[in-house]
Amino acid sequence: MSTAAGGPVAVHQFIATLNPHDATATHTLRLRDALRAAGWRSEIFAEAIHDDLAAEAIKHWMYPEHAAPGDVAIYQFTTSSAVAGYLAEHGLPLVLDFHNFTGPEYFAGWEPRSVERAALAADQLALLAPAALLGLAKSPFSQQELRRAGCRHTAVVPVLADYRRVTAAPDARVAAELARLRAGGGADILFVGRVVPSKAQHELVKVLWAYRRLYDPKARLHLVGGTSSFEYTKALQDYVDDLDLSAAVRLPGEVSDAALAAYFEAADVYLSLSAHEGFGVPLVEAMVAGVPVVTRGAGAVSDTVADAALVLAAADPSYIAAALHRVCTDEQLRATLTDAGTRRAAELSRDAAARIVDAVAAVVRRP
Amino acid sequence: MTDTEATLPEDPQAYVEQVMAEIAEEVRLRRASGDLPPKLERELDELFLAHSPVAGRGGDLGDALRMVDAATFIDPVVPVESERAAGAVVKKGMRSLLLWYVGWLTHQMSQSASAVSRALHIVDGRLQELERQVEGQRVPATGVVEFPGMQCADAWWVEPATAAVAKASGRVLHAACGDGWLVRRIIAAGGDAYGVDPRSRLIDSATLGTLDLRGEPVGEHLRAVAAAGLGAVVLSGTVDGMVGAERGQLLTTIGTRLAPGGTLVVHSASRQAWEAADAPPEADLAPGRPLRPEAWCSLLDQGGYEAVALPGPDGLDFLVIAVRASVTSPYTPAER
Repeated sequence: MSTAAGGPVAVHQFIATLNPHDATATHTLRLRDALRAAGWRSEIFAEAIHDDLAAEAIKHWMYPEHAAPGDVAIYQFTTSSAVAGYLAEHGLPLVLDFHNFTGPEYFAGWEPRSVERAALAADQLALLAPAALLGLAKSPFSQQELRRAGCRHTAVVPVLADYRRVTAAPDARVAAELARLRAGGGADILFVGRVVPSKAQHELVKVLWAYRRLYDPKARLHLVGGTSSFEYTKALQDYVDDLDLSAAVRLPGEVSDAALAAYFEAADVYLSLSAHEGFGVPLVEAMVAGVPVVTRGAGAVSDTVADAALVLAAADPSYIAAALHRVCTDEQLRATLTDAGTRRAAELSRDAAARIVDAVAAVVRRP
Repeated sequence: MTDTEATLPEDPQAYVEQVMAEIAEEVRLRRASGDLPPKLERELDELFLAHSPVAGRGGDLGDALRMVDAATFIDPVVPVESERAAGAVVKKGMRSLLLWYVGWLTHQMSQSASAVSRALHIVDGRLQELERQVEGQRVPATGVVEFPGMQCADAWWVEPATAAVAKASGRVLHAACGDGWLVRRIIAAGGDAYGVDPRSRLIDSATLGTLDLRGEPVGEHLRAVAAAGLGAVVLSGTVDGMVGAERGQLLTTIGTRLAPGGTLVVHSASRQAWEAADAPPEADLAPGRPLRPEAWCSLLDQGGYEAVALPGPDGLDFLVIAVRASVTSPYTPAER
């Protein structure tokens, strides 16, 4: 496939929001580099672009200025966005790069706006999927969703993530603060993710309460991540206060890569009780950082971790507290999980970009 | 947490499975010793629910409106405390400089929010009036219907039902649990069971010990359970008298709360028992009638289960054991 002018075909990417420290943004930037390396022209078009990434992307409504015959669009589907309607309207040949999205049921009772957005995302998936040349899913779980939405050709491909950021030099100030806390004893439990109902941070707090009561009275919980649900965050903070855990639960918000590395370096265990995950990049980051993972198998989590984590069927705090205690105290179990984690992370990273490029090349001729 | 070198097991997968079994046993012993009473876990859940925006599971409009009322006033006078010496002075100065502007904005926002709140109160009043009008036509919620000799520890179906759920990976819910007779049996067989029954008087009078029994409606309880949070559900005396919509709603909720590969067990009276002269009065008062075993199997097959029916020895009742296909996601688009 070539353009009318004989130049290389362009495979452009479209995305709702391009933010730093965001897994989908990292994936998009890396895929752009891989597409260019493969010889395609490739730009990123976004509805909203963070100032720090202003040089990396163009507003989506400016696409006509860059359009050429034969263009193909890859849409990074994460949530509802004006970009979906724009693509449907313009009828570009489309590859859906599906990161999954959190369903409206997880926001019910919290933010009505989030329920509306999630419901709209489902409608937009149903609108785009049947016409897509190809649907790229990050897990078999997401692949099933794509098929249910009417996508005829699908493939499971990895996420292009910068997993090395968790093993880079840690932020000295954060590392020193965490070391000071560790000196007082107690395990450090880590979770990384936006503070929203679907990530169930309140369940983590409940587990910490049980874990401190049953096994380790000095244990701490670090909930790293920004929020897009202020009602839930407020409820979570009030819950922490009610349980008298203000000194044990730390909510540092969104942090730099170096600070994140410090949190992973200090963690004894990574615990996720998310009710829904489309892939779960931080799970893999924990594996890369050598932190054993304990998790519920909700959404795509079981696909992501495979046999490299303690995947819990029950959600009650006493059960999870017992699992945490075992992971924190059993050296053989820790070694087994971290060894399996290292292998799993390598599997997920191996030839990741090439696998996506090959999948795209199956529907768009190589330049 | 220590620096000692640990050896890796020869078969890591088998080792992790063994560890999981040991963890489950540890939890069972902890529960039996009363270290973390079920009541405490329940209180933790309720404590968090009290902070949710609608202050409770029911999503009551009155509660929501009280929260709207409380939030309509926007305070333009920001706090100025600071951990740093000069911080409070700087903040106070900034507040004085900006208060005329911020105050003007917040006054309008408060007025706007109050107008919305007043409109919502009018809607609430009209809804309450409508509710009063439809109250007379309301279909009563289905109560628990128990037949003599069917809901007890020596009934024929208890053994196969216990065998089907005792090894579930995850908690097992029995509804309606009565005084916990089946919960005890499943725990004795190695399962991690608890019970729910809308007849709280039965639970209040039961000898609980370490049993986790909750006096609340089944549907309401299931809605509060985390997605994929249960390994198995046993329903007895709860679904026989339901009408189609209520039954469908319950099965949809169970579908999202059961983990993939989880088991649903339904015990139901037959129509013969339902129409018999010695049937309990609740059977006459129930809005619906029991389904036949074939209908249950068909219904559950459509819902992504593999179901088999076991008829009772005298044709008065039957058991359906259904396993949710492990590859099926409980979050189907239709349920969104």
